[in-house]
Amino acid sequence: MSKHTDIHEYLAELEDIPGTRIYTTKRARQGYWLNQMGMSLMKPENRERWKADERKYLEDWPMTDAQKEALLARDYNRLLDLGGNVYYLAKVFSADGLSFVQAVASMTGMSVDDYKAMMMAGGRSPQGNRSIKGGY
Amino acid sequence: MARITAGVATSHVPLLGVGIDQGKMEEDYFKPIYAGYEWSKRWIADPENKPDVVILVYNDHATAFDMNLIPTFAIGCAEEFQPADEGWGRRPVPVVKNDADFAWHLAQSLILDEFDMTIINKMDVDHGLTVPLSLMFGQPAEWPVKVVPLAVNVVTYPPPSGNRCYALGEAIRNAVESYDKDLKVQVWGTGGMSHQLQGPRAGLINKEWDQRFLDDLTADPLRLRHIPHIEYLRETGSEGIETVMWLIMRGALGGDVKELHRHYHVPGSNTAVGHIVLEAAP
Repeated sequence: MSKHTDIHEYLAELEDIPGTRIYTTKRARQGYWLNQMGMSLMKPENRERWKADERKYLEDWPMTDAQKEALLARDYNRLLDLGGNVYYLAKVFSADGLSFVQAVASMTGMSVDDYKAMMMAGGRSPQGNRSIKGGY
Repeated sequence: MARITAGVATSHVPLLGVGIDQGKMEEDYFKPIYAGYEWSKRWIADPENKPDVVILVYNDHATAFDMNLIPTFAIGCAEEFQPADEGWGRRPVPVVKNDADFAWHLAQSLILDEFDMTIINKMDVDHGLTVPLSLMFGQPAEWPVKVVPLAVNVVTYPPPSGNRCYALGEAIRNAVESYDKDLKVQVWGTGGMSHQLQGPRAGLINKEWDQRFLDDLTADPLRLRHIPHIEYLRETGSEGIETVMWLIMRGALGGDVKELHRHYHVPGSNTAVGHIVLEAAP
């Protein structure tokens, strides 16, 4: 091992990106059941049960009430705040029949059409989107 | 003796698999994306270039691995791997056949060289692995190469550093060259380039950064090796970190490599589609 990483500095930088929740160990622990619930929707029989009665389905999962409410509301930014990871949340929006573009657009506050148009025009610029503290 | 002949890197956007599976390749949206792979498909079909085995570096997207098991570097050693059902049915693509003797040789050699690999037998492979095969080979009845899956954690932080990935590539080169069968081997790095799939900043794309990365795969790989995670994240979006996997491919190719082909297109779904073919150092 040639050098040691300062873990505190490393983690502080991850929190300094605008509009972004990096899936750190802390979030992974916080979101464990939320993400595993998402994973359960890979099975068709579970998707059916989920669709039949979402609130009842969630009774089996030891999540916080805040996580359950955010799931029922499909509030993806809130779910990211509560430890959700997009690849696990994708099982939820896929079960809803949404594509990645549709679901991702909903997190940006843009309409799907506006978001698609932005992507066709080259995507969101990194300018001003790199650092909260630095503002660059 | 087995030898590494070339490296291929490509994004592995799920939509690019959908476009092929559903026959949408001629549609306006998809046409410029697939056009950049035409050269590569011809190149790899030439018996001169076609490898016997591909070591395919990719990441699993909450498919085979969930939050219960998060291996940093995992190597697939089973005889074959089924395309995964990612929630909307299995992709209509062939079973992925491994060269298991070779994979086990790689595993033991890498572990002795101090890379503590996780060995996987039963595992389904998701779009991260199957989309690159479709992009390079189209829709054959059987994949024309054996594939050793090499899965990297780039989902739960921290993923491995760029330097560690590069060094793993160097160890792969040694492991390949100590295999006594005469095999032509390619190493593929997949995922990337710019993309962010979450939060209000989603949709971020940085063409300049991506292009410089493509340039420096030949011009200045030492710079790439030392790019910290935070730079990938700030410059190319949260899922842009996948590009770190390309450095395993680059590390395996040795010193002086030659760029044979490059393709870059925005967008493929939420992503900047990047693709490069590199000839390995002799």
